[in-house]
Amino acid sequence: MDRRDFLRKTGTALAGASGALSLPVLTSCADETVHADSVLEGKRWGMVIDLTRCRDGCTACMDACRKTNNVAFHDDARWDVHWIRKATIKPKDESVGHEEKSVLLMCNHCDNPPCAQVCPVQATYKREDGIVVVDHHRCIGCRYCMIACPYNARFFNFKHNPDWPNKEYPQRSHGVVESCNFCAHLLDQGKRPACVEACESVGAGALIFGNLNDRNSEVSRLATGGFAKRIRDDWGTKPKVYYIGL
Amino acid sequence: MAMDVQFSKIEGRSFPYYLTVAVLASFVLAGFVATLIMHEHGLYLSGMTNRVPWGLQISMAIFYIGLSAGSLVVSGLYGVFGKMEYKPFARIAAYLAMLFLIAGLLSIFTDQGRIDRVFTKPFTYANATSMFSINPALYSGHIMICVLYLWALFKEKGTLTKITSLVVVLWAIGTHTGTGAIFAFVPRELYNSSLLPPSFVAAALSSGAALMILVIVSLSRATGRHLDNELVIWLGRRLLSIFLLVTLYVLLIENAHRVYVAAEHEAGMFFLFGGTHSFFFWVGLITVGCVIPAVLLFIKRTGTSLRWTVFASILVVVGVLFERYLIVIPGLIHPPELFPGWEIVDAVFLEGVASYTVSYLEILQTLGVLGFIGFAFVVGLKVMPLAPNEARALPAA
Repeated sequence: MDRRDFLRKTGTALAGASGALSLPVLTSCADETVHADSVLEGKRWGMVIDLTRCRDGCTACMDACRKTNNVAFHDDARWDVHWIRKATIKPKDESVGHEEKSVLLMCNHCDNPPCAQVCPVQATYKREDGIVVVDHHRCIGCRYCMIACPYNARFFNFKHNPDWPNKEYPQRSHGVVESCNFCAHLLDQGKRPACVEACESVGAGALIFGNLNDRNSEVSRLATGGFAKRIRDDWGTKPKVYYIGL
Repeated sequence: MAMDVQFSKIEGRSFPYYLTVAVLASFVLAGFVATLIMHEHGLYLSGMTNRVPWGLQISMAIFYIGLSAGSLVVSGLYGVFGKMEYKPFARIAAYLAMLFLIAGLLSIFTDQGRIDRVFTKPFTYANATSMFSINPALYSGHIMICVLYLWALFKEKGTLTKITSLVVVLWAIGTHTGTGAIFAFVPRELYNSSLLPPSFVAAALSSGAALMILVIVSLSRATGRHLDNELVIWLGRRLLSIFLLVTLYVLLIENAHRVYVAAEHEAGMFFLFGGTHSFFFWVGLITVGCVIPAVLLFIKRTGTSLRWTVFASILVVVGVLFERYLIVIPGLIHPPELFPGWEIVDAVFLEGVASYTVSYLEILQTLGVLGFIGFAFVVGLKVMPLAPNEARALPAA
């Protein structure tokens, strides 16, 4: 193959590749209806976390989540996956108080999700009912969504997870990102998220879940009741997880 | 004034040549094996964690993309501003730019969790709002234009060369701006800065010009082909020095703004004085990468010496490597302020300041990509007439 030939062939190959690549970018704006889930239309799922009812040392929600959704635990903080996690916070300024507080952190299911904005393959997207989900069969594992999520609520499967306690929910291969999806598979069966059930079963009832569009639901009553706060809603992400007692 | 520049392939039959090719090929092999191992077992074999999900590969990717700006500089000088004495380097610059862009894509590619899906999903489900959809389109378009430009140069097509060199310059600005935007457009305190894309362009011009100096000098030394020192010295003293000042200026404004504005003060202080990365910033980037080379280039005695110009160029390339690392890592290890006024004292996850340590496999992957660039470059010199027979400065008018 002489130089002319080489250049012509490389040129043709690159022209084809680049054309194929830029075309979907230009046309993908018209692709809005692909993920529509008409069954859930009219719903806007949200959660209120009442920290005043959350119990110290209790891990019921975290355990239930891990079991229901086969969330990886490797006993190494670098690679463990958390869909819902606990942290203890303390005021920086001692004059404000010394009291430590236990908080729960999870995917906020933002109405303005930066993760979905940056996903190059639309594997992360917001469903019509407002839940932000990851399609594990499409995710290429670029981890840009983890960079974009200001709440650090997204986790990558760095390692194979051998545990598979719930055979009704799929395992994930290593190499894909995941995060809380409000147990969308349970919602689709008319059930509630595992963490909410677990919290109620231990008698705490700190997690209140429901349809924010339904003005009479407990969740929208609490979320709009004046005591509820969202984590850093000044970031403009519009979370659908509200906190009482934060 | 028309100048007749002759190009020819290099001989490429000496022992050092074959040794270089063999060493570079073994790097590629090592990188390939490292990538296979990492993707068989999972990316936990890298130094990355769920708090620092991007590491060396992404830092190197943006470093390579920045280095491709050498072609922007040369084609700007020769094709757009008509400085004919730089025509001898146009082919090398365009070919290298193409290789660096491919290397950038290769680094990002080998860093994916599911490499097997990269050939299909980004094409079928591209997302117009994602910088990771826009940038690959910018890069591959850039590679295409480089190929067309190279063809025009090989064929000595005057008009097409002029047009494509202008397109290369404009497109390159898009490429570097887009690369900066990968970070600038996400809501993380140390990323979210509208000055990041322009500072990426400035650092890209610096590293690109510095690398061109190193390439043309070492090529002339290795092949024994004549190169007028004045050409190198002009690039260093009149261009690289200015690029360095612009880079310094943008970095100064960006960091002064962070430290000044109350909402960003804490993050700004963390960047400037908060750990090892601060040492990289002050010593690696500011002192070694910008101030010392700028001073060397501006002082007449050192700025007009070939040795000192080459030395300054090495410092700039190293400094910009630090700059690329400083774009990616500190913004991730710095914890987001989720509860203003409160600090996290206990957690099941790594909530505070995180850390990142490069693993051996990541270094091998990086060597692999570097090996690819070197291999394709030295083999390219042998199979294509890329290198000029001689490069002479224009006689003073």
